[in-house]
Amino acid sequence: MRTLAVITLALSLLAHAAGQQPAPGSPPGGSARKPATDGKVWGALIYATNDPKGLIGSKEQAPREFAGLQARLGKVFPYQHFEILGQHLQDVFREYESWVVPTKDLFLKVDSKGPAKGGGMNLHLQFWREQQVLVKTDATLRADSPLFIGGPKWREGQLIFVLVLQK
Amino acid sequence: MKTPTEDHDLIRWLDGEMTAAERERFAARLESDPVLKADAEALLQLGAALRAHLPGEMPLPHADFFNSQIQVRIAQEDEPARSGAPSRGRWLEWFRLPSFATALAAAAAVVIAGVMIWQQDETGESMVLSTYTPNPGVQARAFHSQEAQATVLMLDGLEAMPADHKIVGYHIQHSEREQDVATTLYGERGEVVLVVSEDSHHQPRLLSVSTQP
Repeated sequence: MRTLAVITLALSLLAHAAGQQPAPGSPPGGSARKPATDGKVWGALIYATNDPKGLIGSKEQAPREFAGLQARLGKVFPYQHFEILGQHLQDVFREYESWVVPTKDLFLKVDSKGPAKGGGMNLHLQFWREQQVLVKTDATLRADSPLFIGGPKWREGQLIFVLVLQK
Repeated sequence: MKTPTEDHDLIRWLDGEMTAAERERFAARLESDPVLKADAEALLQLGAALRAHLPGEMPLPHADFFNSQIQVRIAQEDEPARSGAPSRGRWLEWFRLPSFATALAAAAAVVIAGVMIWQQDETGESMVLSTYTPNPGVQARAFHSQEAQATVLMLDGLEAMPADHKIVGYHIQHSEREQDVATTLYGERGEVVLVVSEDSHHQPRLLSVSTQP
């Protein structure tokens, strides 16, 4: 009887330990639990300028599905060159705020308000410049319809934040 | 400064709560008191303007900000009362005072100045439903660009970023929520790049863990 109890306890500990192992290919930080998500967004900070010499030489490229981004930006903003300074692919957590931080200078706080009627997501967005919130907005974000936020001027051009709902 | 009795009479007159005899007496007072008459006309115009520009029912955007402004105005109005005037007792009395009406109008003006509510449609495009810019010098404009097939939120009046300021970009590939208090952001190679949390005032705190090239 005592042997059976020991075996049961050992099996229980082994099962618990196995449950603590990170899944193959999972990143560090295995102690974090996986919260529920409502979707995924891609955000980027873009430097727009007419002076090609003013580009900072960033190697960042938009994901293939957003390949036409620069051309679309050129339809709205009066600049010829659009350089991605930073980018961030982010799950939108259902119960917690999410952060889209392509740079520490300009970033976005995203709160999910659930699925939108007709597709997409209802979001509450806060656009931050370091410790100062520039705008709070309620928005519906839909796939294939990016949101461009015209930010502050910088050097000879302008900083633009792009937010896209991933399909 | 009008006495409380006059305040109550003005509100009752505005709300249509007076009897015919009271209305007649109050009309005579208005004719003899230019200050009271000016107040009454201003409040009538304010009410008409609000009715003309706001729908009968609407969800209050950024209600937390609105409520906080109301609380601030109430506190400001309450201060002189504490220093001499007798207490009015029930807080509901505030709703019956022109001073509160003024505070409400001021708060509404603050909200209306910074908050824009945009028309909703069902076009299948992304939409900006409302905006609030805390800095009164910043205006938000939202529109849809058919040519770009994008929704644009333009912020006018922002202070320019200093030209000598270096902007370091990240490439964040995914994130994890840590113990409900912080979010860890990981780079392309699975390295920790940033930890983001909020302080007690809901201000973001960004802690750089590694510097990307």
